[in-house]
Amino acid sequence: MRSEKLKGHLDLLLMSVLSRGPGHGYEVITRLRDRSDGAFELPEGTVYPALHRLEEGGLLASGWHVVSGRRRRIYRLTAAGEAALAEQSKQWREFSGSVARVLGTPAAKPALRPGIRGLTA
Amino acid sequence: MSGPIPDTPADPVEDYLDQLLITLSGSPRQVRHTLAEVEAHLRDAVDEGVAAGLTQSQAQMLAVARMGPVHEVTGRAPALARPSLALARRIALTGALVGGVGFLAIGAAGLVARVLLAVKGTAFLTAPWPSGSYTRADCSHWLAGDPGTHSCVTAMLADHAGDFLLQATAAGLLGLIALAAYLTLRQRWQDRATRTALPAGTAEALGAVLAALAALACVGQAVDTEMVQHGVGAGVPWSLGAAAAAAAVVFALGLWRALRRPATA
Repeated sequence: MRSEKLKGHLDLLLMSVLSRGPGHGYEVITRLRDRSDGAFELPEGTVYPALHRLEEGGLLASGWHVVSGRRRRIYRLTAAGEAALAEQSKQWREFSGSVARVLGTPAAKPALRPGIRGLTA
Repeated sequence: MSGPIPDTPADPVEDYLDQLLITLSGSPRQVRHTLAEVEAHLRDAVDEGVAAGLTQSQAQMLAVARMGPVHEVTGRAPALARPSLALARRIALTGALVGGVGFLAIGAAGLVARVLLAVKGTAFLTAPWPSGSYTRADCSHWLAGDPGTHSCVTAMLADHAGDFLLQATAAGLLGLIALAAYLTLRQRWQDRATRTALPAGTAEALGAVLAALAALACVGQAVDTEMVQHGVGAGVPWSLGAAAAAAAVVFALGLWRALRRPATA
């Protein structure tokens, strides 16, 4: 998927990834890639401004821990983040369902007027 | 006795982190934290690449490529895309440096012209106006300024040479003032945002290009004067050309240094 399209939904995706458990930046991007079967490829650096923005908004919290010998900033979803995730997920499902219904409807042939119908008979 | 620790040669991860450090804005703590987590990310990615069979160098390049440009991490467009106080300050510093060295070079050209004047005379330094293009009153004015001669052309040449030397001296003084302002402002505006608002070496690159173009133009004119007028009036373009070439070399050296140490630009 084009990264520009993905960026519009990045906050939701990051919160969703972190709803499965806390993680550091590299872990988050790896989970995102794995769970999308590699469809979500974007410059990995883009997750950091998004993570920081979500933390500033109170939707994520972070702390520093040593994991596998490296000092890492681990992010976790806050209660406000869980509520925001639930709300945004609901909105996304409604929106994507509507889009799917529109795209899934086969184009109907326009009804021909009686005069024209005679010409085609 | 321990010397400075040398940089790791050709390490794309280190280069990326250097670039990120000078680009990040925010409090020192925010900068440190972002730098630390991006470094951990890159080291993880390198380890993963090496574990997958890549060489260290290949894994480093892949990790940096996957991270994307530095401005993806900072979340901001490159500095040139957003006018700011820091950018305005940087532009002012660039103007003061380029203008200061430029005017100082003109002043230096005046010194070269003084030598040429002493060695080869006023006819080499400046060309006389074509006959008929000046009036008797002009002659009187020039002769009044050079009572030692009775030749209008000689007095005219002396007057023109004097004008050039005076203007060059004024330009040199202006250059010194501009450079003093540059040094003062650079001392005052030492914040990282100002230092990194333009890519390292921008002022030096601009100065080198402008000075080189000026040198080419002046030397071209001097050569043309030598060929067409047998050297009469070639002294001014020669002196300006030499000073501009020297300025171009100074800027080029400054550019080389700035690119080696971008954080101290």
